[in-house]
Amino acid sequence: MAEDKYNLKNPAVKRILQEVKEMQSNPSDDFMSLPLEENIFDWQFAIRGPSETEFEGGIYHGRIQLPAEYPFKPPSFMLLTPNGRFETQTKICLSISNHHPEHWQPSWSVRTALVALIAFMPTNPNGALGSVEYKKEERRSLAIKSRAAAPRYGTVERQKLIDEIHECMLSKVPPVPQLSPSQDSKEHPSNREGEVQVSSQHDGATPAGEAAAEGSPNPAVGDRIVEEVQEAPLNGNPGPEVARTLNAAPSGGSSQLLQRPEMKVQKPADDRLFTWAAVGLTIAIMVLLFKKFMKSSGHGAVFMDGS
Amino acid sequence: MQNQDGVQVDGEVESATSVPTPEFDEWANFGDQDIMQQHSAIRAEEAEKIPFLGDKEPLSSLAAEYQSGSAILLEKIKVLGEQYAAIRRTRGDGNCFFRSFMFSYLEHILESQDQSEVDRIKANVEQCRKTLQSLGYADFTFEDFFALFLEQLDSVLQGNEASISHDELILRSRDQSVSDYVVMFFRFVTSGEIRKRAEFFEPFILGLTNATVEQFCKSSVEPMGEESDHVHITALSDALGVPIRVVYLDRSSCDTGGVSVNHHDFVPAGSDLPNASGCSEKVSPFITLLYRPGHYDILYPK
Repeated sequence: MAEDKYNLKNPAVKRILQEVKEMQSNPSDDFMSLPLEENIFDWQFAIRGPSETEFEGGIYHGRIQLPAEYPFKPPSFMLLTPNGRFETQTKICLSISNHHPEHWQPSWSVRTALVALIAFMPTNPNGALGSVEYKKEERRSLAIKSRAAAPRYGTVERQKLIDEIHECMLSKVPPVPQLSPSQDSKEHPSNREGEVQVSSQHDGATPAGEAAAEGSPNPAVGDRIVEEVQEAPLNGNPGPEVARTLNAAPSGGSSQLLQRPEMKVQKPADDRLFTWAAVGLTIAIMVLLFKKFMKSSGHGAVFMDGS
Repeated sequence: MQNQDGVQVDGEVESATSVPTPEFDEWANFGDQDIMQQHSAIRAEEAEKIPFLGDKEPLSSLAAEYQSGSAILLEKIKVLGEQYAAIRRTRGDGNCFFRSFMFSYLEHILESQDQSEVDRIKANVEQCRKTLQSLGYADFTFEDFFALFLEQLDSVLQGNEASISHDELILRSRDQSVSDYVVMFFRFVTSGEIRKRAEFFEPFILGLTNATVEQFCKSSVEPMGEESDHVHITALSDALGVPIRVVYLDRSSCDTGGVSVNHHDFVPAGSDLPNASGCSEKVSPFITLLYRPGHYDILYPK
């Protein structure tokens, strides 16, 4: 690490170095994140698509920038891998957007934010800034594609780090469960964990995440995540244990969902119907607003003339 | 009182540390970032008016503020003048209670050189650390803030190489990198205490905001700039074992004719002050804050 390059008296630097150390001593199967060697305020990360969702098996890269006032000001995140949930190369601010009802607080960390980011993937964006709403099939195929190669981004130095993270994540994340095994991606991870395999065997295509998202509004999800993260260290320091807790977080609720297989049968036609209805409504509202605007501006003009 | 506070001390003590500023401009797409910048711009504008910590001013300056204002307030300030000599203002940025408390406490230690009080509060701080750990906070999220407070505590005690003068204490209290960290330390301590004694605080919090204890801590205690209420004061006073007097200056008047100024003493629950044990008689607070709706300043008794 380039520790000697930085003013260790600087509180932000001190804090960030501690986070790097903590991140390395408690690695997680769900994400990986490292600062650039030449600038510890600039990190690369990759997260694993939450299991039981259309993102399962996906490896999504992104960039984190920490402000000079960290941890008083929140880090900013952006994704680099096309994923169908967040726009790429666009900042997603986890603290004050729709994603999070509360303000950022210094007791959170890069780890907290990454866990939250994973948990947000299967939630309904509700038009939040920096979000997109792709169809499940598209998201699923993006998840498969995401494994093939890491995104190209930034300097050679950064690219090296991205590739390194990608390799490491490939070994941790089992590939996307497929209905047709022919499409199964070539890089089968060698060290699959038993528990993971069990969860990915359940069904080829699980709308579990979506069902969960529909049932619970965003704030609740946010709350749960933050609580879970803060509870994680309770389990003591050993890495594997913490990792398992975090592992369980995004896929919470999968057990009830499995008992309701009928949830799986979601007609895309329904989706389309709603979309058209929404478009129609939007147009109607716009027309009304326009009319009102014309009216009021007409009045305004009259007043203006009067004075 | 012994030190003259008028020495040239401006806000130019801002963090002299150099940090490579990440290039934020390269992303065209704004949004949330915009809103945040706007927020902080408004704050900065507001902040320009008063440093984190002002100079000591005679109470007459308070009266001057209300010259053309409410007669009740002027009357009350006159009453205040019988007991209090001076006021020291703090910046109204939502952290004023914590900043007032910080300076008032450290100044008291600097002037009294009360070693036993320092030992006592250090034990409480240790307890707070354990509380946070048991609540599941990761160490690295709070230990910097704790360390910085303990450092200030040691430096106001004279006779070691880190000792600082009264002027230096003022300078530090105006330095964002010190002041904000100490404020955050208090916020952690306050949040930890509220969560630890959730059943006790719950009804008060419900009365205030209709939020759960968890939500309240997350949205009204831990984030910087969130104003303090009696819940915060009670929790901080309890956690650190430091009694606090708050004098209320508002328009309320008693019908009986005579104008009086109300105050409330926050006395730590289960106070284990050696002198307070046995008799629950008066623990006289050495920290006195003046509360005007929405803001706290420091008051100096005669």
